[in-house]
Amino acid sequence: MTETPHLDTEALAELQEVMEDEFDVLIQTFLSDSEGRIQALWQALESSDEESFRKSAHSFKGSCINIGAPRLGEHCFYAEQAARAGRLQDAGDSLRAIESEFEAVTDALNELLQR
Amino acid sequence: MAIQTQLSDDGQTLTIRIDGRFDFSTHQSFRDAYEKGDQDVREYVIDMSGTRYLDSSALGMLLLLRDYAGGEDSRVRIRNCNSDVKRILTISNFEQLFTIE
Amino acid sequence: MAEHDAGPDPVRQNPTTTRLRILVAEDNDTDRMILQKLVRRLGHDVITARDGMEAVERYQAERPEMVLLDVLMPALDGNEAARQIKKLAGETLVPVIFLTSLSDPEELARCLASGGDDFLSKPYNRVIIEAKIRAFERMRQMHQTLTVQRDLIRARNEQLISEQQVARRVFDNVAHRGCLGARSIRYHCSPLSVFNGDILFACPRPAGGVNLLIGDFTGHGLPAAIGAMPVAEIFYGMTGKGFSAGDILREINQKLTAILTTDLFCCAAFVEAESWPGRVRIWNGGLPDGYLIRRDGRRMTLPSEHLPLGVVSPERFCADMTAYDAKEGDTVVFATDGVMEASTAQGEAFGEQRLMAALDDTTDDTAPFDRVIEALRAFMGGREWADDLTIVSLDLMRPDDTIDYAPLAASSGLPGPPEWDCQYTLTGESLRQFNPLPLLLHICLEVPGLQAHSGDIYIILSELYTNALEHGILTLPSDWKRSASGFGQYYAEREKRLRTLSGGEIAFRLHHRRLGAGGELVIECQDSGDGFAAPAELSLDQTEYAGRGLALIHRLCQRLEHIGKGNHVAAIYRWPPDQGAQHDRNTASGH
Repeated sequence: MTETPHLDTEALAELQEVMEDEFDVLIQTFLSDSEGRIQALWQALESSDEESFRKSAHSFKGSCINIGAPRLGEHCFYAEQAARAGRLQDAGDSLRAIESEFEAVTDALNELLQR
Repeated sequence: MAIQTQLSDDGQTLTIRIDGRFDFSTHQSFRDAYEKGDQDVREYVIDMSGTRYLDSSALGMLLLLRDYAGGEDSRVRIRNCNSDVKRILTISNFEQLFTIE
Repeated sequence: MAEHDAGPDPVRQNPTTTRLRILVAEDNDTDRMILQKLVRRLGHDVITARDGMEAVERYQAERPEMVLLDVLMPALDGNEAARQIKKLAGETLVPVIFLTSLSDPEELARCLASGGDDFLSKPYNRVIIEAKIRAFERMRQMHQTLTVQRDLIRARNEQLISEQQVARRVFDNVAHRGCLGARSIRYHCSPLSVFNGDILFACPRPAGGVNLLIGDFTGHGLPAAIGAMPVAEIFYGMTGKGFSAGDILREINQKLTAILTTDLFCCAAFVEAESWPGRVRIWNGGLPDGYLIRRDGRRMTLPSEHLPLGVVSPERFCADMTAYDAKEGDTVVFATDGVMEASTAQGEAFGEQRLMAALDDTTDDTAPFDRVIEALRAFMGGREWADDLTIVSLDLMRPDDTIDYAPLAASSGLPGPPEWDCQYTLTGESLRQFNPLPLLLHICLEVPGLQAHSGDIYIILSELYTNALEHGILTLPSDWKRSASGFGQYYAEREKRLRTLSGGEIAFRLHHRRLGAGGELVIECQDSGDGFAAPAELSLDQTEYAGRGLALIHRLCQRLEHIGKGNHVAAIYRWPPDQGAQHDRNTASGH
């Protein structure tokens, strides 16, 4: 089993071609939106709002897949699953994994932009 | 094809065979069948051995053929009719206009 | 080939691609940016919305051709937005494609149930997006074409129906129902049957009795209806003027041959029911067997013996009628083939056997017509009857109520001549082939006051003429007509002798003068025959076929004079104004 990579370089290359000079804006938007999503997830967890947590995780997952950050998307998927099953303990674990994976993705994307 | 034509070896007799229902839906192909026969055709034979049904518009088409073939001087023979088809031709007294065999 | 390159731009590759306006509704900024860019690159205009509510508002304001809708959105989720957009779109087809990373089959099914047409899953793939947009554009255009064509057909159909209604009113004016309302006639025919080619007319004969014509034109719609107009006009016009059935048929055939295309014709049956003498004459050209049902239930077949109307030239047309004696209680029934072909949902046809069975079922004294209708109703169940199902029955020799339906004689409004005298003589060949009665009647009816008495005058003219021709010229023995078997023989012999007739002469002299507020018409008829001894007592006895003619005239006239050796008769008819209708017209039909 190969571990899912931080970034899907092939998808990102295609995205870069599609977005042309709007690619930078797209990545920046993703990064800032994602920070907001992570904060929203923490809030939902603290108030034990499983439904809101699940929806945010689902939506986050979608944009991760589209932007070419599959491993982050995978963690979002686990978080979504846990919330759906009412396992708030597991959901918290997944959210911490999302946070650390997001840092890795941020670094990798910033590196990509500087190239 | 519901309508088949066959020209005799001497080119003088055109046989038109109609299979299935002889009604308004066959209007164009029936017309094509006798109009494409060439100048030498003297006699037309309508072969009804495969004709299951015939309606009044088919009677109209037979009248058109009769006209095309020369009206009063035309030679049109209708053969191999089943009993239903024959009955319709008889009610209309078409034996006065066609040779029905 | 340069296939390994990025490839040509798909839009430029296919110049026929329509530039569409596509609504992209997605709350996720990055997803929306990507999709917007992808769709734009395909050559379309993009309208964006950030939630379901905004999506519905933008749709309403801009009416885009296609909608891409995220499922999970704040304010209003995708399912509800789709439902509202489809409702706003009404009959217009607006493809709604859901954007989703859902994988749960039940959730996907819910998207379709809310009106979605397809899915687009994340991550977005531009090839798939393009393929789907194209596919739905084809569907949308096809739907639009169909809608336009359907609306066109609907509009045309409405126009056609309203035209048919107008045409039917016009047709009703020309081809009014005549005396179909008389007690002796029962019929079924759809109000729009004329557009299916079916016709049914009935008209009282001036001499009493009824002429009836039932027919079925080939084809349907306008071509079939067009032929019905002249047929009606000829039928009513000539019947009213006293022409014989043969003359009327010849005229109709000639007219139809002239105006219709070769493949159009009219299968028809003509029933000429004379109230006097008791006789019915039938002509059937191409209609299914008709039936003469005797009072005791016996059924005689009235088969098609002729080509339909409008097929052959006047020279070849045969208007020979077959005569049958008629008594009160006898009924003639005719139907178009729509009756035989009336079928159940399973496709089984009513057929001739069922028709005959219904006619033969004499378990109660229901009229034959009612028995057939009952059988048809039972056979068809609740199924609606077609427009081409026409059936009629005529009771023979019934006390005559058709006279109430007699068409008003055309009045020119000009005063006619009150005093006149004319002589009209027919010789040899003319006697063989010409019926002078319509002409003589026409001359008499030039006197306006006489128009109300046309029936009486026709009967007098016709009886005098028949008497002179059959007994004076053809020397037919009238006692033949005393028996039902001799009846047929009499008319066969009449035809035979008439065909070989060479000499002879019949002269009419008509004289009219004013008499008070009314007038006096003298009709003299003289034949070249040997004459006969005038019967001492004129009888109207039911069993007496012969000799009734003169008795009848006697009843209608002021006076009947036999001049010379009996081959010269003068009928003096006096008419007071407004009293003509009070004559007892039922004398001819016996009791």
